[in-house]
Amino acid sequence: MTAEAHPAPTTAPQIVEIRPDRGWLDLDLGAVWRYRELLVVLMMRDIQVLYKQALLGAAWAILQPLFAVAIFTIVFGYFARMPSEGIPYPIFAFAGVLPWTYFAEAVRRSGTGLVTDAELVRKVYFPRLIMPLANVISPLLDFCIAFVVLLIMMAIYGIAPSAKILLVIPLMMISALLALSIGLWLGPINVRFRDIKHTLPFIIQIWMYASPIVYPLSMVPEQWQGLYSLNPMVGVIEGFRWAVFDQGEPNFGALAISGTVIVVLLAGGLIFFRRMERTFADVI
Amino acid sequence: MDDFAISARGVGKRYKRLQRSERHDSVRDVIAAGVRDMFASKQLRNERNVRNTFWALRDANFEIKRGENVGIIGLNGAGKSTLLKLLSRITVPTTGSIRIRGRLGALLEVGTGFHAELTGRENVFLYGSILGMSRKEVAAKFDAIIDFAEIEEFIDTPVKRYSSGMYVRLAFAVAAHLDPDILLLDEVLAVGDFAFQRKCMNFAKQLERKGATILFVSHNMFSIKTMCHRVIYLKKGQIVFDGPTAEGLKLYEADSRLADVPWFDESEAGRRISFTDVQFVNARGEETTVFDFGERMGVRLRYKTQGRVERPDIRVGLDRDDETHCMTFSSLTDGVALPYIEGEGVIELRTPPLKLVSDLYTCNVVVRDADGHMLAGQIGGRFHVRHADFSASVWGVFHESGEWRVEAAESVQLSEVRDGVG
Repeated sequence: MTAEAHPAPTTAPQIVEIRPDRGWLDLDLGAVWRYRELLVVLMMRDIQVLYKQALLGAAWAILQPLFAVAIFTIVFGYFARMPSEGIPYPIFAFAGVLPWTYFAEAVRRSGTGLVTDAELVRKVYFPRLIMPLANVISPLLDFCIAFVVLLIMMAIYGIAPSAKILLVIPLMMISALLALSIGLWLGPINVRFRDIKHTLPFIIQIWMYASPIVYPLSMVPEQWQGLYSLNPMVGVIEGFRWAVFDQGEPNFGALAISGTVIVVLLAGGLIFFRRMERTFADVI
Repeated sequence: MDDFAISARGVGKRYKRLQRSERHDSVRDVIAAGVRDMFASKQLRNERNVRNTFWALRDANFEIKRGENVGIIGLNGAGKSTLLKLLSRITVPTTGSIRIRGRLGALLEVGTGFHAELTGRENVFLYGSILGMSRKEVAAKFDAIIDFAEIEEFIDTPVKRYSSGMYVRLAFAVAAHLDPDILLLDEVLAVGDFAFQRKCMNFAKQLERKGATILFVSHNMFSIKTMCHRVIYLKKGQIVFDGPTAEGLKLYEADSRLADVPWFDESEAGRRISFTDVQFVNARGEETTVFDFGERMGVRLRYKTQGRVERPDIRVGLDRDDETHCMTFSSLTDGVALPYIEGEGVIELRTPPLKLVSDLYTCNVVVRDADGHMLAGQIGGRFHVRHADFSASVWGVFHESGEWRVEAAESVQLSEVRDGVG
């Protein structure tokens, strides 16, 4: 959809022109900026609704990762005696589960958000990019709540964080961008083919076990590590542990791969999304 | 040229004709279709393209001046909603361009974007932003909005607990305070109780005085007449009339009589029969379009067939003005098994005493064969049912008297209760 604001000839209100799109690179990101208030409002709505519907409210943000960690600790830490680089296993697993839970939720929401809000897409105009953006940002609140729990657990286990812990912020921005770039592809596909909704949980499950969450990266055989690190979440999760526990060396190679994947997926995703969004209202 | 609010040049919108089964196709279907296309000749593919697409709107040219009120009329599927969707930027035109000057507010369906779990207050902000207001603007107008909606005491209740009337009032109140330069209205005035409808009309009048441009889509010819001086009449995606309201409405009424209903698909089983005239007659056999509640109505159908139509099921459906389908008479269901009809003739339906509430109705005439295929579907015309009390907003679709039995406490006199039910 193209809307151009020409400079008004007189003091008259601005003129919007509606016509077929021009081409591949017509991204019109300015429209997203003009609608930034709607972005905020939609995020607020997602958060309000989530906590209103659930009886336990914000507690879910904590309980969900805690349950996962409890199970992983019993199965992998206790039964399988998985090494955890000298860190108590529950904390080790929690520091992997946290960024992963956020990432998985952001991908799930941005991949299905357009269809969840089909009614809006069908009846109201707004730059559709707002939708995946809001979907990726709103689960950050859950992450923040759970992060406080991680800090408390660390205090209980007597692990003091260093100043490096601030690096968690850019790392989470990387996972948000990664989730967005995937959502930009999945969202439009889901509008057309509802298969995505059923396939997504499955893919996320596999992806989780292909990421160093329940086990350390060092468990992966050396000859496979190159291939393994092509998974863009490897750099993020390893980086997250490094920032929180301040142990070992940062894995810049893996982060560079994450960066490359993001740039490629995001650029392609933006073009793809813009191309597909013209027909959202007709197809959804 | 200088004072236009909306200017459309050569605007067209082409859609793919989707079968219901392929609306949300699975990946498998698309791959299968792709493979099939690979082996199809170019000519075949082009043919299929033409067959599978249609123009919902074609080559629309018009200009609406600032401060003008224009009604958009046409049968279902004539392209009215497509035009509104294009104007409100929900979808993009395939050809042409539209220029819009000023802030445009679209009320295509009141309350789209309301979230049931959120309170009235939260929804005011949400809906306001969706309509294009800034938070600051909503906050400044908040009290006025609540006042207009008349729901002060429920403002912190989740809207899922609202009655439908409250819900619509709140949504409309938000939209009303958008203060648009151009307002697109789609049938919204048909909701709510009478008092609120009048409030909405007054509001529209007020906007008009402020110099706003209003585009109004409705099936309610009465509201079009009171609000608009000019109508644009769409027929099969094309503008066939653009001018004074009275003239346009006359044309529309004449056209819509005996026109095909939008859901009739000639390609399914062919047009085997058509109705050349439909008349409504009262008990004395006089033609009329006004019936009293409880009066019996006669519907005289003059038909013409193409060859012999075996075992037809003649159906007369009655739709209320707000498009609620109220009832259908079917010759087959009523035990009239016609072996066949052929050539020309007249079929007359005599209804039982009409119990429909007081409103305007459209009568559709449909013929199906024994396998359920539709052989004809036409709009038979419109008629009124008249009663002083029984209106749709209170009484629903029809009214029947019930039998009441009251187990009263000793102190209550049965006669008093009867008075209350009266």
